[in-house]
Amino acid sequence: MRSADAAYTFKEPHLLGLMGLNPLQLTSILDLADTYAEMSRANKRPEPHLKNKTVINLFFENSTRTLSSFEIAARRLGADVVNMPVSASSVKKGETLIDTAMTLNAMKPDVIVIRHSASGGVKLLSRKVDCAVINAGDGMHEHPTQGLLDTLTIRREKDRIEGLNVTICGDIAHSRVARSTTYALHQLGARVRLVGPRTLLPKDASDWGAESVHTDFDEALAGADVVMMLRLQLERMDGAYLPSRREYFRYFGLTRERLAIASPEALVMHPGPMNRGIEIESAVADGKGSVITQQVEMGVAVRMAVLNMLAGSGAP
Amino acid sequence: MITAILNARILDPASNTDAEGGLIIEDGKVAAWGTGVQAAPSGADDVIDAVGLCLAPGLIDLRVKTGEPGEEHRETLATASRAALSGGVTQFVVMPDTRPVIDDVALVQFIARKGAEAGGAHIHAAGALTVGLGGTAMAEIGLMKEAGAVVFTNGDVPVADPSIMKRALAYAGSRGAIVASRPDTPALTGNAVMAASSYAARLGLKGMPVESEWIATARDLTLAETTDVQLIVDGVSTARTLELITEAKARGATVGCTANAYSLFFNDLDVGDYLTYCKVNPPFRVEPDRQALITALAAGDIEAIVSGHDPQPPESKRLPFGEASFGAAGLETTLSAVLSLVHDGPLDLVSALRPLTCGPADLLGLQGGRIANGAPADLILFDPDRPWKCEREDLISRSTNSPFDGRLLQGQVLRTIVGGATLFQRD
Repeated sequence: MRSADAAYTFKEPHLLGLMGLNPLQLTSILDLADTYAEMSRANKRPEPHLKNKTVINLFFENSTRTLSSFEIAARRLGADVVNMPVSASSVKKGETLIDTAMTLNAMKPDVIVIRHSASGGVKLLSRKVDCAVINAGDGMHEHPTQGLLDTLTIRREKDRIEGLNVTICGDIAHSRVARSTTYALHQLGARVRLVGPRTLLPKDASDWGAESVHTDFDEALAGADVVMMLRLQLERMDGAYLPSRREYFRYFGLTRERLAIASPEALVMHPGPMNRGIEIESAVADGKGSVITQQVEMGVAVRMAVLNMLAGSGAP
Repeated sequence: MITAILNARILDPASNTDAEGGLIIEDGKVAAWGTGVQAAPSGADDVIDAVGLCLAPGLIDLRVKTGEPGEEHRETLATASRAALSGGVTQFVVMPDTRPVIDDVALVQFIARKGAEAGGAHIHAAGALTVGLGGTAMAEIGLMKEAGAVVFTNGDVPVADPSIMKRALAYAGSRGAIVASRPDTPALTGNAVMAASSYAARLGLKGMPVESEWIATARDLTLAETTDVQLIVDGVSTARTLELITEAKARGATVGCTANAYSLFFNDLDVGDYLTYCKVNPPFRVEPDRQALITALAAGDIEAIVSGHDPQPPESKRLPFGEASFGAAGLETTLSAVLSLVHDGPLDLVSALRPLTCGPADLLGLQGGRIANGAPADLILFDPDRPWKCEREDLISRSTNSPFDGRLLQGQVLRTIVGGATLFQRD
C-alpha cells in the first residue's frame, strides 16, 4: 500500500513507539523515507523543511550510531542540532528526568530525540514538554525508527512486506528492536517468527503480533525471506543466560550452512553493531544477501521522514 | 456521656449479624445493641439517626507503613491515623521497616507513645524478626512482645537463609509470638518491577514471576509446621499460594493469610501506560490470580484484607516505571475496594466485612473487630452504595499516590467512632 492510495499524513504529536500505529501511518512514513533515500542516492538536497528549527538529541545512554544518524538527518533538513549526552553526573546530582525535561522545554526546542535506559522513560518525558518527541530507544520497550528502517530496507529489496516470512533471532526478551520491528512488520502483513534460547525469549509474544516463537533456529529458518539477527549483549553470555559464546554460536549463530535453510533469496539483516563470530559469521554478514549497510542508509532516510512529519510540513 | 445510634443496618461478622437495630454507647463502651434497641434511653446526650446506613465494627488493618520514624515526609503516624479514620480504620499495625528499624523495645514503645499522642486510631507495632531486618541475627522477639509488639515480620525483605528463618520461627513460637512473612524469593524477583506477564514483556518491564511467591510460601509453611509457630503468609497474590496454604491448613498447621485490597481490584493491565501509582509489591497479578483471590475470600480462606498502605512522595513516583518506588496509599480506599466485590456480586456485606474486622482481630488476638456489650465502642457508619470519585487531592494521607486515583468507587464511611467519640465525620 502506498500513501497515494489513501493520501494520509502522519498526525501524531510524537513518535514514541510503533505499537498502536496503523498500516496507513506506517506506510506514509515509509513512503516519505523512500523518497529521501532516492534523493540521497541521486545526490539531491532535500527541501530545508526544518530550517530555523531546533532539534535536541538527548541521549541518556551511549550511542554513536543512532545519535549520528539523527544528527545527519536533522542537518540534511536544515535544522539546528544540539547534542546533549547526559553524563551520569547530572543524574547523580539528583536531577530527575522530569527536571531535565522541564529545563530543556524552557529552551523551546522543536523536537527532542531521546534515548533512555528505562522502559517508558521517553513517554514520561514526552508528557512534560510542549514539542515533538522522538523515541530513539527506551529500555527494553521500543526503538521505533529502527523498526521503520528495517521495514523500509525490506520493502525496498522485496517490493512488498505482505506475505513475507521474517525470522528474528537472538535476545528477543531484552530487545526493543525486536518489539518495534515485529509490530511494524506484523501490521504490514508479514509473518514474523521469533527464535532464541528459552532464557532470552518472552513467555508469550502472541500479542506482539509474532506468528510463532521457536527455540530451534533451523525450524524457524525454513523458507524465511528475511533473517534478522539481533546483537547479543556480551553480559548475557557469562553463564547466567547462556553457557558460552561458542554454544550460542553453535545453536543460534547464522552460518552459510544455516542460511541455506532459508529461502535462496533471503535477506540478512542486523541492527548493529555486530558480534562477528558470535551471532553471525563474517562470510554471511558480508555475503550476497546482506543488506546491513543499507539498513544504516535507510536509518537516515527514515529519521528525516519522521523529523519532517513531526516538525516540518510532511511534504518531501 | 450516652450516645444512641438508631435505625441502622447492623453488620457484625463475628456474630453473623445483619439486622436493623440500634446501639447505645455509654462511657465509651457498647452498653446495648441489637434489634431490640429502638429508642434512645432517657438522658442520651446524642442521638444519631442512621437510617439507610450500615453500622459495623471499626476496621482493622494489619499492614500499614508510615515514614515515622525516619521518613516523616512520606507519612507520619498522626497523618496515617487521620487517613485511617477517614477510611473507617480504627486499629492498624505498622510495619517495622522504618529508619531506624523497629527491632528493639524502645522503638516499640516509641510507636505506642506517638500513636497514642496522635489520638486517632489505635496503632500497634510489628516487631522486626531480625536485627535491622538484616536476616542474620534474631531480634529481641520476647522483649518486644512484652512491650506490645503484636506480630513479628522481616518486612518486605524475607529472611534469605532458611536456617536463620527456622530458628527465628522456633524461637518466636516458644515465646508465643506470631510471625508474618511476605513470601518472596529475592533471587528470582531480582530487580523486577511488576508482575511477570505478557503485558510486562510488551512494556519491556522486568516481571516478578509467580514461582517466587510459591517457593517462599512453601519454604515458610514447611518451616512453620516443623517449628510449631503461628504463621501468617502476608500479601498473598497468586492462586497457587492459596492452594499451598489450604493444604497446610488441612494438615493442621496454625497458619493464616492476608491479601492486599488492591490485589482484589486490579490486574496487571492496570499498569497501563507505565503508571507508577500502580507500582506496588506484591504486584497487580494477572486476572486468573485476581479471580482466585476473590473466590478464596468468598470461601473464607483469607483471614484478613490489608491496605498495604505505603505512601510515597511525588519525587519517588515521578520517575520512569523501573526507577520509581514501590508502594501506594491504601488506608482510605480499602473499604470501597472490598465493597466493589459486594456490588459486583461475589460477596455479601457480612462476608466482605469479616476480613476487615474480626478476621484480623482473631488472627493477632487483638481486642475489637466485633460489636459486644462492654467492649470499647470502635465503630463505623457507612453508606454501602454512595458513589464517589477517588481524587488524590481529596486524600488525607500525607502522600497521596493511589492506584485508585481517578476511579469511580461505591461505598464510603460517613462516621468513624473510636472509644465512643466521633473522630471523623463526612457530610
